[in-house]
Amino acid sequence: MSKAKALRPKLAQEGFWGRLGYFFSRALANLRQNVFVSVVTVGTITLALLIAALFLLVYVNLEGMATSWSDKVQITAYFDREPTPLAVAALKGRVKAIPGTSKVVFVSKQEAEVRLRSRLKGQESLLEGVSSEVLPASLEIRLDRGHRESTEVTRYVSALKQIAGITEVQYGEEWVQRFNTFMNFFRLVGALLGGFLAIAVLFIVSNTIKLTIYARKDELELLGLVGATRIFIKAPFLIEGVLQGAAGALLSLALLGICYFALLHNAGNFLGLNPAGAGLCFLPAGHLAAILCGGILLGFIGSLTSLRRFINV
Amino acid sequence: MIQLHNVGMSYQAETAALSDINLKIPKGDFVFLTGQSGAGKSTLLKLLYAGLTPTSGQVLIDGVNLSRLSRSQVPLLRRSIGVVFQDYKLLPNRTVLENVAITLEVLGWGKRDIGKKVYHILKSMGLEDKVNSTPLRLSGGEQQRVALARALVNDPKILIADEPTGNLDEENKEQILAIFKEANIRGTTVVVATHDKRVTVNSHRRVIRLEKGRIVEASDVQG
Repeated sequence: MSKAKALRPKLAQEGFWGRLGYFFSRALANLRQNVFVSVVTVGTITLALLIAALFLLVYVNLEGMATSWSDKVQITAYFDREPTPLAVAALKGRVKAIPGTSKVVFVSKQEAEVRLRSRLKGQESLLEGVSSEVLPASLEIRLDRGHRESTEVTRYVSALKQIAGITEVQYGEEWVQRFNTFMNFFRLVGALLGGFLAIAVLFIVSNTIKLTIYARKDELELLGLVGATRIFIKAPFLIEGVLQGAAGALLSLALLGICYFALLHNAGNFLGLNPAGAGLCFLPAGHLAAILCGGILLGFIGSLTSLRRFINV
Repeated sequence: MIQLHNVGMSYQAETAALSDINLKIPKGDFVFLTGQSGAGKSTLLKLLYAGLTPTSGQVLIDGVNLSRLSRSQVPLLRRSIGVVFQDYKLLPNRTVLENVAITLEVLGWGKRDIGKKVYHILKSMGLEDKVNSTPLRLSGGEQQRVALARALVNDPKILIADEPTGNLDEENKEQILAIFKEANIRGTTVVVATHDKRVTVNSHRRVIRLEKGRIVEASDVQG
């Protein structure tokens, strides 16, 4: 007599919960009885999602870095005459009223001179005989993130020029245009690579699941021959798919976490990508949840489409 | 009652597997289908459990035309028919108990009831000490009895067997045929396909001989 332990599932009961309980226990028994196939499937899902997650991590950090660069977009509005403190408050109010304004700072002539002197530290002699009257007073304006595109900046500047007293506006037009071109290129490349990667992940995972279900086509056929309904045959396989997908996703996130904390955490400093020295940041919670849901969906849809090919009852 | 009216069956681009089959098998009958390999025995059996749909004619079970069954009704039909397949179709990664239990799980039986019923039928077939074995550890005769147990465990109205004694020695053949007879005595209609004439001789059962997809002989009682 064999010492192999019988893997008897809880058996079908009446009602929705009873059946669901049976399907779950059947799915768990199937996973135990097909350990090798289950490990291969979970391993494939794990690796595929890990590659996708690493790509996402790099993309999110690069975009974060690019966004921090866009903080450098600054508009300076110059006055030919320094406005009175009362007028400054009114002017700041009018500038803040323009959509897209994030921060407005008034720089008086004296302050401009102080800044220039500090920048020319060690070469102060160059400023000998130069009075603060030479330097114009100005407003330094920062825009919010939604208004840093080239066209938005141009529109903002033309609105700024309508304000009386402002004689000249500078905003590094060429830099803004180059930056926007770079960002558009970066997003396009990201979308293309991400798209190809998503298709590859879908293809690999769905084919792995298809092969594992193909390996058990005799079981599917037999269930049909003894009078099992389609839902009775499919449900445990779909639950298996969901469990394998969830396990693969969780494992890939765990591996991503290990990679991040062991290797990538300080890679920003090492690569000199982030001047602030904060290192690469981990994926936000929303992205982690999306990877988990993606794994579950992959398992479910992969099983569903594969089952269609092998169930003919 | 099983009825076949002018049944024809052709596989794609091949000659007819069955032609003009007319047959009536009354409830509680025991019938042997004989003939050489390729005579159409397996095809005829598949028509009985809606494994195939005839290309012409009608197959009726208790007055129900199987061609008119919807996809959702086919499982209900199959629950009333026990089938023993030529290759047994036992699941290698499940125990003997689980292989037999499948039939009752599909019906929604409770765990305790399944345990009792499966143990009872395995005991009646001399397999009570094999409940936790996997099929690959069993002999051919034992595997065949497990397949039979799976087919009979829900007391089906009809029992269909395709070459059930094909790979067995004389002793195992006798055991298997005895099980068929017991099931028939309990009221199950039995249809057995075999090319082994020694099985049908002196069986005192009706024998239908197929040749190239046609019925060429239908005796009332053999031997």
